[in-house]
Amino acid sequence: MLGSGGIGGGGGFSGPMGGVRGLQTAGLYAASLDNLTDDNIVGKVYDNRVVTRLLTYVKSFKKQAFVTICAVLLYTLGNVFIPYLAKEGIEAVSQSDVRLIHTVGIIFLAVVLAHFGSNYLQMVFMPKVGQGVLYLLRTQMFNHLQSLSPAFFHRTEVGRIMSRSQSDVLQLQETFDLMVESFADLLSLFGIIAVMLFIDWQLALVCLSIVPVLLLLLVYWQKFARHSFMRIRRAVAMVNGEYNQNITGVRVVESFNRQDANLRHFDSLNREHLNANLEASKFSGGLMPVVGTLVGLGMGFGVVLVGGLFAADGLVEWAVLVSFAMYIQRFFEPIRHLTMQYSQLQRAMAAGVRIFEILDLRSEVTDRPGAPAMPPLQGHIRFEGVGFHYVPGVKVLDDINVDIKPGENVALVGSTGAGKSTMVTLIHRFADVTEGRITVDGYDIREVQRHSLVSQMSMVLQEPYLFSGTIKDNIRYSHEEASDEDVVTAAKAVGAHDFIMGLDGGYDNVLAERGVNLSVGQRQLLSFARAIVGNPRVIILDEATANIDTQTELLIQDALKRILLGRTSIVIAHRLSTVRNADKILVLDHGRLVETGNHQELLKRNGVYARLYAVNYGLHNGNWDTPGGDIPAPAPAGD
Amino acid sequence: MLILYRITKMAWRYRTRLIVAYVSFCCAIGFSLLIPIVFGKSIDRLVDYTPDGGVIGNEVAVATLALLALAILGLAVGQGIFDFLRTYSTDSLSQIVSYDFRNALYDKLQHLSFAYHDKEHTGDLMSKATSDIEAVRRFVAMGLVRSLEVAVRLVAFTSYLFFLNWELTLISLGCVPFLVFRATLVTTRLRYMWLRVQQVMGQSVTVLQENLVGIHVVKAFASEEYEKRKFEAKAQELRNEYYRSERLQGTNSAWMTFYFNLALGLIIWYGGWEVVRGDLSPGELTTFVLFLSQLAFPVRMLSFIINSFSRAVTSGQRLFEILDMPSPVQEKEEAEDMGRARGIVHFQDLSFSYDPQTPALKNVNIAAEPGQVTAILGAPGSGKSTIINLLPRFYDPTQGRITVDGRDIRDFTLESLRHNIGMVQQDVFLFGATIRDNIAYGSTDASHDDVVAAAKVAQLHDHIMSLPDGYDTFVGERGATLSGGQRQRMSIARTILLDPPILILDDSTSSVDVETERLIHDAMTNVMKGRTTFVIAHRLSTVREADQIVVLNDGEVVEQGTHAELMAHRGIYWNIYELQLRPQEEMLLDAALASDRGGDA
Repeated sequence: MLGSGGIGGGGGFSGPMGGVRGLQTAGLYAASLDNLTDDNIVGKVYDNRVVTRLLTYVKSFKKQAFVTICAVLLYTLGNVFIPYLAKEGIEAVSQSDVRLIHTVGIIFLAVVLAHFGSNYLQMVFMPKVGQGVLYLLRTQMFNHLQSLSPAFFHRTEVGRIMSRSQSDVLQLQETFDLMVESFADLLSLFGIIAVMLFIDWQLALVCLSIVPVLLLLLVYWQKFARHSFMRIRRAVAMVNGEYNQNITGVRVVESFNRQDANLRHFDSLNREHLNANLEASKFSGGLMPVVGTLVGLGMGFGVVLVGGLFAADGLVEWAVLVSFAMYIQRFFEPIRHLTMQYSQLQRAMAAGVRIFEILDLRSEVTDRPGAPAMPPLQGHIRFEGVGFHYVPGVKVLDDINVDIKPGENVALVGSTGAGKSTMVTLIHRFADVTEGRITVDGYDIREVQRHSLVSQMSMVLQEPYLFSGTIKDNIRYSHEEASDEDVVTAAKAVGAHDFIMGLDGGYDNVLAERGVNLSVGQRQLLSFARAIVGNPRVIILDEATANIDTQTELLIQDALKRILLGRTSIVIAHRLSTVRNADKILVLDHGRLVETGNHQELLKRNGVYARLYAVNYGLHNGNWDTPGGDIPAPAPAGD
Repeated sequence: MLILYRITKMAWRYRTRLIVAYVSFCCAIGFSLLIPIVFGKSIDRLVDYTPDGGVIGNEVAVATLALLALAILGLAVGQGIFDFLRTYSTDSLSQIVSYDFRNALYDKLQHLSFAYHDKEHTGDLMSKATSDIEAVRRFVAMGLVRSLEVAVRLVAFTSYLFFLNWELTLISLGCVPFLVFRATLVTTRLRYMWLRVQQVMGQSVTVLQENLVGIHVVKAFASEEYEKRKFEAKAQELRNEYYRSERLQGTNSAWMTFYFNLALGLIIWYGGWEVVRGDLSPGELTTFVLFLSQLAFPVRMLSFIINSFSRAVTSGQRLFEILDMPSPVQEKEEAEDMGRARGIVHFQDLSFSYDPQTPALKNVNIAAEPGQVTAILGAPGSGKSTIINLLPRFYDPTQGRITVDGRDIRDFTLESLRHNIGMVQQDVFLFGATIRDNIAYGSTDASHDDVVAAAKVAQLHDHIMSLPDGYDTFVGERGATLSGGQRQRMSIARTILLDPPILILDDSTSSVDVETERLIHDAMTNVMKGRTTFVIAHRLSTVREADQIVVLNDGEVVEQGTHAELMAHRGIYWNIYELQLRPQEEMLLDAALASDRGGDA
């Protein structure tokens, strides 16, 4: 599925989320985990695994489900019974028994009332169960997604997960009602056959002789339906994909004047969508004359001719003929209904398969049962012989040994693909080490509850990401306990307060989607504020490489110094000032730790660091492996 | 109701199909009504009823019965054929209308200005394109055709009934006022409910999408529990809203069926009595009963039809809202093709505000000549990007004007104007297509060699060739398999290929490695030759080499001139330069020396 994704996984490849570049690059090799079924799979009409699994959700709504089933049974019974009553009424008429007519009339009304009552109950309780199950599925799916590792999200496009948790769940929603309806349809089908046989089995056999023909035809028809259903699915996926892309890329589309070419392309996809639907409509419509013919045969030759001859011989009452005519009309109703629902059921089963597939994905990072909570952090981080790989044999990190004392500021440098991002994200357990161990304050991080550990640390990604909502919500983010003052304090500490106050509504300003109404620098400052609002002991930070205008850059540099003060920090450094101010510099090269020391020591050693320094500093005035803000170190004079 | 009228108008363009649908359902109804009549006649043949003495079986010829049977078969086949015609013409009509809607929406969205897209969420626009269009489609099928069909069937049924026996008619019509009452009541209530469902749905999609796209943030803050609660609240709300609307729909259909069965019961009861009294023949009673059986399905459909009306109003409203939206950026009717501009750009007394309270630009005047580089400097929010976005008319100024080669840009067609402007944007967007298609994005007629040439200038060629599929490599959603630097270069290659006389660069060389950065810089210097270039500048080298520097502050031009002039002026620029850029300059000198010694990279 990722096909070309694995290409050239060498140094230059990094995904859009800079903060986990290491993970992403290496993740491309780990295709083995991404064996989600192709979205175009066509499901069976009835998949036992899906249905049984769905039923486990129904368990939570036993009472409502029970009422629903009873109501459906009663309702179907009524459906089957009403023509029978009509027959009784007509018989009463034949016998000119006025009293009987009135009795039947009253019974009829009672049945109609009961029929209505059960129907009503069904309609009240069925959606209760259905929506309840969907709610469970939706939240379970969401919760499960939270437990999957970031590597999974890199391998799988967001769009695909979205469609699984949105359209597939919606698909199931329709199915749920549909399954109940189909159940009722089947029930009334058998009910009708039973009653017909009961009234007059000979005539019933004659009339029902058309059923095998119908079944054969339906089997044949399914072949076409299947094909046409697949064609529609593909077309829908193409149309939606193109549409989505055009919205997200609309700024490029407009600046490159692509509207006409795009519309032509979209039109061709849209037209295929139309044609696929027209074809399907021809198939489903084509059943109508067939069913019509069969009804005609049943009514004409079954009831009128054969039944008429029976009646003429005094074998059956004319009331029987009337009831048969009614039954035949009602008989085809559920059949027609069932065939119409066929493709829908198929789609739903496929949706079910896809949903459960996600739910069955195993979380890669889980808490050991009974793991203790992490006590308040000191911030002492040790890497002991840490190695990491996604695919055995392709080492991303190899034998890393580092001891970071509480309060130490560490800068991590190295070329792209050296393993910097992987190294820092391991501390947050984005993935678990494959060799050695990482300890924080002496605890192996795999032995404590992840949440208790991570909530005491902060991570700032290279590209700031904001959620919809207010500025306040974004700063407070996971620390809901933080007061408004805490939020303001954090914003002031990183120098974001002033620009926030300049916005409409200040801290209550509602951000546009992903904060596009703010500049990159402003978003960066907000993500800093978010990182320190919980007063973490440990901060991990991937310095931004994007160009930020000079003033904001100064603000950020300033903020950076302040937020690192007194905390253990590991910074993936792109700026000279950051590196020079660090207590300790770790130089990574091809997954190995090659040099450790402070700026002066490393320069003296004249090794990898000194070379990096010469190349980058010489050319780039304060920027490391990637150029960015042209801001030099604040105090370059001494050098 | 205006909304429904407008949808109808769109469907009316394909009136042949509509008319075929109408004619065929009339025929189908005709056939289906005849079946109970023929059947009733058969019963009358078989049965002879005497008011006082019950039923006497009639001797009938097999031939007569066979004839009647054939007649019924013929009628049923006829009904089937017309049913098919009706279904097909209705389906195709509804599909064509939804096809039109999709195209119109797609096209409208790509013509709406940035101001609109700044406010809209992708998820919401997606749901408009899918579920709202589907709702409109259902209305065309259900509301425009099926509702009339049910109405015609009811009218045909009642008139036949009325003709035969007015008392029975009154009984069966007794429920009509209830039906109408319920229908109107439910339609209005459902409409509001659907609106709510749509809203809540959109919100939950947004929560989900943001969570997935920002999953690294979620993980980094261990905020899974918080996110779960956020989503659970939305899911709960969604469940309630859905439940309410489904229950109303369901119970409504229960009521419809109830009225219908009630009428059936009353007819048999009262009709039977009439037969006993001799006012009605057994065959006629049979006909009534079968008629009513035929109505069972249409009556069940009534609630779907009602539902389709209310959903169409809600969804249609959401769709027309977009389709009717005048783009704030309008092309004049007599707009001309710009041709290839020379590139003399003037910003004259330009003012702009996104919202009336806060002006983003105030009285900006800038003049730029072909071959000149204009560097724009300023703090975030000072209006740099705004100026840049006004030139290709992504927004229109609130006051003042921009001229190219002396003429107001609003005199030209948008397309020809934007053809003359190349932009390298900060946010690089790659389309799900091959690398070649992505580079040739703005110039579809470019040959492979053109693409390669552009990629070479953008320093991307070697990398592309190292990929197994070369230029045919597929780059996915948001170019997930390319690094930031590579995406950036792709965007540069795109612009190079366009060869525009006016060039806009915004943060164009962030996040590329050292060597590439230099090569791109050189390449861009070449590309800028002979063009009018605007740069949102962050680099000293760019600023110093620029022919003019514009310093913005709070939307106003505070200083303007060459590097030397502004340095002499000793104002804001001088301040920035001395404090921030100066030390950098010294290092640049070092770098120049180093490169002199060591040769180029």
